[in-house]
Amino acid sequence: MPSTQKPMRYGHTEGHTDVCFDDTGSCIVTCGSDGDVRIWENLDDDDPKSINVGEKAYSCALKNGRLITAVLNNTVQIHTFPEGAPDGILTRFTMNANHVIFNSDGTKIAAGSSDFMIKVVEVTDSSKQKTFRGHDAPVLSLSFDPRDVYLASASCDGSIRVWKIADQTCTTSWPLLQKCNDVINAKSICRLGWQPGNGKLLAIPVDKVVKLYRRETWDSQFDLSDTFITQTLNVVAWSPCGQYLAAGSVDGSIVVWNVENQECIERMKHEKNYSVCGLAWHPKYRQIAYTDTEGNLGLLENIGNGKKPNDKVASTVTKDYNDLFDGEDDDYLDGDMIEPQSSPKAGDNEDDADDLMPTSGHLRRAIIDDDDNSLDIGMIKANSSLLEKEDDDDDQTGGFPALPPSSTQQPFYDGPMPTPKQKPFQSGSTPAHLMHRFMVWNSVGIVRCYNDEQDNAIDVEFHDTSIHHATHLPNSLNHMMADLSTEAILLACESTEELASKLHCIHFSSWDANKEWTVDMPKDEDIEAICLGQGWAACATSALLVRVFTVGGVQKEIFSLPGPVVSMAGHGEQLVIIYHRGTGFDGDQCLGVQLMELGKKKKQILHGDPLSLTKKSYLVWVGFSAEGTPCYVDSEGIVRMLNRGLGNTWIPVCNTREHCKGKSDHYWVVGIHENPQQLRCIPCKGARFPPTLPRPAVAILPFKLPYCQVTTEKGQMEEQYWRSVVFHNHVDYLSKNGYELDENAKSQLVKEQQELLMKLFALSCKLEREFRCMELADLMTQNVVNLAIKYASRSRRLNLAQRLSEMAVEKASELATAPDDEEEEEDFRKHLNAGYSNSATEWSRLPVRNVQQDQEMENAEETDAYEEVEETPEVHKQRPNPFCKGVTSAEVTTPKSVVIVSSSQGRVNPFKVSSNKKDPVVPSANVLDTMSKHSKKTSLSSSRAVNKQNPPVIKPLIPKPKSKQALAASFFQARTPNSSAKTVEEREEKAGNESHEVKVTAQENTENKRPQTGFQMWLEENRANILTDNPDLNEAEIIKEGMSRFRMLSSEERVVWTEKAKGGTVNDLAEDKKRKRPTADEDEVKKNQEQKSEDSNVSKKPKPLDQSTNVRLSAFAFKQS
Amino acid sequence: AITSVKCFEIENALETLGDLGPFNPGLPVEVPVWLAINLKQRQKCRLIPPEWMEVEKLEEIRDQERKEDTFTPMPSPYYMELTKLLLNYASDNIPKADEIRTLVKDTWDTRIAKLRLSADSFVRQQEAHAKLDNLTLMEINTTGTFLTQALDHMYKLRTNLQPGESAHSQDF
Repeated sequence: MPSTQKPMRYGHTEGHTDVCFDDTGSCIVTCGSDGDVRIWENLDDDDPKSINVGEKAYSCALKNGRLITAVLNNTVQIHTFPEGAPDGILTRFTMNANHVIFNSDGTKIAAGSSDFMIKVVEVTDSSKQKTFRGHDAPVLSLSFDPRDVYLASASCDGSIRVWKIADQTCTTSWPLLQKCNDVINAKSICRLGWQPGNGKLLAIPVDKVVKLYRRETWDSQFDLSDTFITQTLNVVAWSPCGQYLAAGSVDGSIVVWNVENQECIERMKHEKNYSVCGLAWHPKYRQIAYTDTEGNLGLLENIGNGKKPNDKVASTVTKDYNDLFDGEDDDYLDGDMIEPQSSPKAGDNEDDADDLMPTSGHLRRAIIDDDDNSLDIGMIKANSSLLEKEDDDDDQTGGFPALPPSSTQQPFYDGPMPTPKQKPFQSGSTPAHLMHRFMVWNSVGIVRCYNDEQDNAIDVEFHDTSIHHATHLPNSLNHMMADLSTEAILLACESTEELASKLHCIHFSSWDANKEWTVDMPKDEDIEAICLGQGWAACATSALLVRVFTVGGVQKEIFSLPGPVVSMAGHGEQLVIIYHRGTGFDGDQCLGVQLMELGKKKKQILHGDPLSLTKKSYLVWVGFSAEGTPCYVDSEGIVRMLNRGLGNTWIPVCNTREHCKGKSDHYWVVGIHENPQQLRCIPCKGARFPPTLPRPAVAILPFKLPYCQVTTEKGQMEEQYWRSVVFHNHVDYLSKNGYELDENAKSQLVKEQQELLMKLFALSCKLEREFRCMELADLMTQNVVNLAIKYASRSRRLNLAQRLSEMAVEKASELATAPDDEEEEEDFRKHLNAGYSNSATEWSRLPVRNVQQDQEMENAEETDAYEEVEETPEVHKQRPNPFCKGVTSAEVTTPKSVVIVSSSQGRVNPFKVSSNKKDPVVPSANVLDTMSKHSKKTSLSSSRAVNKQNPPVIKPLIPKPKSKQALAASFFQARTPNSSAKTVEEREEKAGNESHEVKVTAQENTENKRPQTGFQMWLEENRANILTDNPDLNEAEIIKEGMSRFRMLSSEERVVWTEKAKGGTVNDLAEDKKRKRPTADEDEVKKNQEQKSEDSNVSKKPKPLDQSTNVRLSAFAFKQS
Repeated sequence: AITSVKCFEIENALETLGDLGPFNPGLPVEVPVWLAINLKQRQKCRLIPPEWMEVEKLEEIRDQERKEDTFTPMPSPYYMELTKLLLNYASDNIPKADEIRTLVKDTWDTRIAKLRLSADSFVRQQEAHAKLDNLTLMEINTTGTFLTQALDHMYKLRTNLQPGESAHSQDF
């Protein structure tokens, strides 16, 4: 029950006043700047007795029928009470005294003056004076130790001193106050006070807290504070029983604490917010009289609850005083449970109040029985430690002003403490209690909510105004939640007394005239979280239900949640729901996650798995990356992403706190993109979320997996590699689910990964870590393994090279069984599908086949020499096809490596161990195989411009299987060709534009006349010169001549030409061969040419690496490393 | 088919046009000022003012400028130009635009006053050299032509005066 606060009444003219009760409490005595002392029978006394004591009275004290006052003429006088007759002057100062007090038995008074002095005078004998010198500024306030040993004083010099009265020495001093030069400038008059009774504690109002110091040790025992106090405290006053402490502030608030449990039991506000400068407890009743600087007098009655427990208190107090505060189990609860008017934790903290409910410890507190001192001590202890912990918890999570645990409570282990469950929230929203807040900020747009006096409205704004123009909606239903997609705006409100909780959807992409629908929830069911996907909307309710709607408003699935929802998010067909699996302990949350697909095939992917959160953190954001991978962020700033490549585990991909400058800075995540790797978020200085104005700017953070030793080159590359792998997962997922995606980006990703692997390989080679090299090679695709073999042999690690080639062959033969079955259509298709669903296998298998085919080709070619090549010109058309890859991927970053790769296929044989004898037709089919795949890539890349305009990846459910089938069909067609030319034609018929592409490439290849090697380029340029010098040379001789001239060039020049050749777009095997055909008979020339042309992997004879290959390889190696 | 590009960050330099974009709705992008202003005028974007363009920083700069006798370094060599342009065309994207305008004007006035003073003392004390650090181009141009020409004139006058004086003294 709140205390009663009587209306204030005029007491004195404006100015400083002081107040006290007489010994019996029968009247209130005030003094003021009008120089009068007034004696009030009670507050309603219309005719108080006035005693004029001087021109201006600064302070008065009353005891044993003596009234002392400090007045303007620098004296401290005595008057009789209640008569008011002057009884002499006790002492004088050179300046006026600011505060006078009696000691506990009324035999002495102390006065502190503006002349920096403090005097203690015996009331009966004013000659017995003690002077305390030491303050360097006017003395503000004094307080007598109830045991008469010490005297405390506060001064404008900023110090609080404790003096020993007997020898007038300063016992201790604390610099607690702000310095000032005069009393009128002091922020606070700092009326301090000793605890009545034994004087165990000294209470000092310092700024907004009351500091309590312990007698003798003089160390700070604890602070009393309250969020209610917003201004400096002016006065403190102990209740006569010593149990309660009242404090008044300069803005007129009065707060009363129960000192034992440091609980605030009373909060009161001065009706006019004048500064409280006098405060006095009634000696018996729970009354406080107070005066303000405007001369008004007020009275607070029934402090605490309505009872008047003073008598009982008094008795218990006397009984327990001696061991009251000496650190033992003195939880003497004095009978009445003093229920706080409002819990201290009600102090709303912007930061966390929205996220964490205050612990509801009141329940347990209530079980403590009334007025029973012999209560089970353990229980009290448990309870008090619970309270304490609660406070700690609050401190740490939010910043409820510090209530340090009192040392009166012994530490007591109470087992793990349950964490309050975090409230449901919408991702990308700011707390609901704000007047201006974001309801959602996602990759589509921003929904803001204004809720102030003049307006209650919702603003919707789209990042891309081509989706929809910005809109402004009235918010009459008081919507609290929102989500936004490219199709609709979804809003939801909680139920009120009359209205049910509503889901409101504005489906702006609808083509009919009705763009809105609303659905009422059943009675007593509140919507707690909502989300939008593609074509559907969902809401989770307090009845632990998830309701799914179509975006047009048809009710669809409904299912139960295992626990209260925390948040949910939608993307495409996917729905992720996070809920409480149970109760977390010691600051941890216990959350579970469900991931479902609501497409044609409905399935659950994550079946309520536990959600990994950083210790003592809670969830702050959950959503999907733009590519559709679920991600979430916890309050410690760790961003985690679903790693579909590792059995749907969560991998931390970024720690936003690492990027923060200040300790209290945060990043507020608004979106995640996997390609390019971007974490879009808003930097917030000193807050967890941004304000709506000024409009915050989005920043981009990079991702970083928490790998070890990322400062070293190795760690860095490992991190890069695995990050690339993780951020590549979505590609597989999307392709598996039939989404159209950019093959080009995919191949780029693979290339990037392989490049990193090669770099790592080179690094390990350099460090002579051959075993590690092998492990790395295990991760590589076949092409790159070949490159690695080459690198190893180049760097004279023959052992490694040998092992690598063994591994390559092993891999090849391992996978060779699969290609064997290729004849079977079913199998092959499956294989193909597998290739699509899992790019890694695709990529590793494909090259294997190439190698195999190469080996077979070698076998064939070793026997048939070149005849086959020369006799069947069609083959030439086909043969270059493997290098289509080179052509098509020329626009990809490293054409060079590709070329090497192609040449390396010819190079396998040095380490060749076995080869599967096979129908020579099959290789050609395989060649086609690769070709068509790559040509498809070309077609894709050629239509890249078109693709680019589309949103990067998601283009759902384009009937892709068809093209797959066509592709497959073309393979099978190609598998049994009688003549390759025919095949090409057939392919053209069957595979439509793809094979058209193929043909084009093939033509390009045949038509491509550009020389490819440096020498050839050089020769092209210098042919005229040679011819003018020796006009009668035939082609072969020209080449010969050219060769010798080229050799005479300086190495730099040659390098220039080689570089030129590399720079060109290129492939030219066909052309190479064409050139050869006319000169086919001149073996020698050909040999020469082969020696020079690095890329003519037509060279069938196993040869050691020739010069220029070495140059290029080393160039590659250098670049890589 | 331009969809609206929502956000631009101003590169605080009138530099050559390099690679721009990619423009993502909602993501800030750094573009040259002329392009930003152009897009702003077509209502295709919002501008994000440069970091220094906020009241506290500018107050600090102004106070510093007033306190010191020499020129203090400015946050951008084109501070005046940028302020003018941005405030003229994009004042709705800049919080407290009016205050910023006043602050920058104050700073500018202080600096120009200093410049005049130093020019005055330069001439008065007939110094041959003066070192003026941290002046921006625009500030130099406000006084450059006038000062050099004035010095030219004075030089001429002085050299003309010299023979006259000596001739005069010879009379004695």
